[in-house]
Amino acid sequence: MDSILVSTGKNNLSVCNGKLNIELHKAPPKSIMDKLEILTMAAKYDVACTSSGVDRKGNGRDMGNCISAGICHSFSSDGRCISLLKILMSNECVYDCKYCINRNSNDVPRATFTPDEICELTMNFYRRNYIEGLFLSSGILNNPSYTMELMYQTLYKLRNVYRFRGYVHVKGIPGADPVLIRQTGYLADRMSVNLELPTAESLEKLAPNKHRKNILKPMRQIQNGIAQGKQELALYKSAPSFVPAGQSTQMIIGATPESDYQIMSVAESLYDKFGLKRVFYSAYVGINEDKALPSVREAAPLLREHRLYQADWLLRYYSFRVDELLNERHQNFNIFLDPKCDWALGHLEQFPVEINKADYNVLLRVPGIGVKSAQRICKARKTGPLDFDSLKKMGVALKRALYFITCSGKMMYNTKIDENYITRNLLAEHEKLPFDKDGMTYRQLTLFDDAQENINETLQPAFL
Amino acid sequence: MNEYVFVCEDSIEGILSGVYEAYSFKKENKIKSHDSLRLAIKFPDICPLFAEYVAIDTNFENAEKVINTIRKRFGEEAYYNLCLAIASCFEEKADAVYHTIELGIRTNDRHVLDRLSKDCVQKAFKCMRASANEMHHTIEFIRFMELDGGILYAKINAKHNILPFVMPHFADRLPMENFIIYDENADVYGLHPSFKAWYLAQGVAPLGGMIKTTAAEDEYQELFRRFCKTIAVESRENKKLQTNLLPLRFRPNMTELLKFKQTNE
Repeated sequence: MDSILVSTGKNNLSVCNGKLNIELHKAPPKSIMDKLEILTMAAKYDVACTSSGVDRKGNGRDMGNCISAGICHSFSSDGRCISLLKILMSNECVYDCKYCINRNSNDVPRATFTPDEICELTMNFYRRNYIEGLFLSSGILNNPSYTMELMYQTLYKLRNVYRFRGYVHVKGIPGADPVLIRQTGYLADRMSVNLELPTAESLEKLAPNKHRKNILKPMRQIQNGIAQGKQELALYKSAPSFVPAGQSTQMIIGATPESDYQIMSVAESLYDKFGLKRVFYSAYVGINEDKALPSVREAAPLLREHRLYQADWLLRYYSFRVDELLNERHQNFNIFLDPKCDWALGHLEQFPVEINKADYNVLLRVPGIGVKSAQRICKARKTGPLDFDSLKKMGVALKRALYFITCSGKMMYNTKIDENYITRNLLAEHEKLPFDKDGMTYRQLTLFDDAQENINETLQPAFL
Repeated sequence: MNEYVFVCEDSIEGILSGVYEAYSFKKENKIKSHDSLRLAIKFPDICPLFAEYVAIDTNFENAEKVINTIRKRFGEEAYYNLCLAIASCFEEKADAVYHTIELGIRTNDRHVLDRLSKDCVQKAFKCMRASANEMHHTIEFIRFMELDGGILYAKINAKHNILPFVMPHFADRLPMENFIIYDENADVYGLHPSFKAWYLAQGVAPLGGMIKTTAAEDEYQELFRRFCKTIAVESRENKKLQTNLLPLRFRPNMTELLKFKQTNE
């Protein structure tokens, strides 16, 4: 007797039809618990989880407000912040991007949320102070426009039926109808379209269904929408705001052979030309076995990711340009020193800097002085000269700064302005890395810091 | 030269009453400088030989006058920051706040809190930063649970007295909710009735095991625990970084980090 298993939405029933026995099987409906697990698992490799960029007070009636600095609510065991309910609408996907856990050639459990399920979860998590809002992304269900419309419906319900005023970050799906993207933008605080990989060639190799043009198009649309929205707001106070917390994107680092210089140049042009708020870098985590990808067992290049973020901060808050940090000959960041120290050592002619006189922008370039310390220094020195002791109390990292500054004409110790001398001393002070002492050492890092041609150059700096 | 120390109650009104008394004492006794006057929040175990300790009673009228002066001379933000400094648990806060106010009035400097080269301002800054940090941590890590009747309840164990600074945030965020935040260390309740102004209550009988959580509550706690577990990338586990960012002392009150269901015990 032949037995054919057919899976449909109908109840189990077996029909005896002569010799043929047809059994209709129905998978039991997935519980919310299962769906949440599946769709969280599917979303976790997305790095952006910030709730920053917009200030919105409560209206005294509906639930929710936003704080522009953003609020983290928890930290997972990998040390990443949990700020938003980061889930996919669906992990069904018609695409087959090589690096992605949800590619259609992977055999993973699949699920799709209904808009109401997402709204209920968001509201109930939010009122318990578990989360700051919703991060909604999705696999491509049927086609980009269909998916985008589902996401739009969810946000529409969340804002207008559940009356949620908290933070919402939503992904723009490349290739979706621009009208849908525009309407979704009026409901979200932040939108992001993932660049995925730094160059078009890499994209073609690893994400055959995605095209650079399709990714940049919605990005440009959102940028224009934000600019237009600002203008409308200036004219009419009550105009709805379009993506008020700005746009972000992310790229995967280490899956393809781009240099740090290439990556940072892409980031810089995204900031300059697309007005992005943030660019996120995600050290490649091997999930899929594929000949086009680095091995699954290879550890993620965390130090490299860390350096890129440090440099990204220098671009956004310290008015550095990529060309100052890297160039054609010096394509990758020094793994031993942070980019700012590295830059300062190459520009010793600009130091030492007098704390009581130097311009704010000059102070910002001193290793060990951050944005907050620089602001505090500028305010405090108006009423009297500062000494090293008060700098320390303000939060200046003197162990790094002391080689580069003077207070009222005096250095802290009798130190030399000499590259080798300072480098030796800076290296003796172990840099605090977010993944120090957790089974990670420099030795291991050099092993997996992927095969770039000029790696030897970075590994053996002149001073060793 | 004799030194005088005014010992005042550990509260905003208490310390500001002390400031008022110090000014009037200086005037009455024709003391040359504020340097020989100090403020403290408790008597020392051994009294030094050349210091005279005077206990100050809290006087709301006097405190109000000082508050008005601070607001007028230094602005709202500075007033808020000085209150934060007073909310901290450090003993030196009273004296630091007093001398910071005195410095500001003497130099007629609206931005006296920026004078970080001065010792008293540095100390006040340290106190302020400590409470501000804990306030932010509390806003991040506080967890509400739903009790029968839909009331939200959260327990905190704060080092500094930051409950009054945390309440406005949640009152703005959850206007329609009846919620209670209980600071176990200070034994103070912050209460917010739906669509009404929040207030603090001290000396209330503990709510303890009296109230039960709802069935939906257990489910949402479990959902969130699973979510937090699933969102972590296993191959990048880094407990040390997690501990740096989420200090252990907050964890006993956090849903997702408890193995078992959270009750309001």
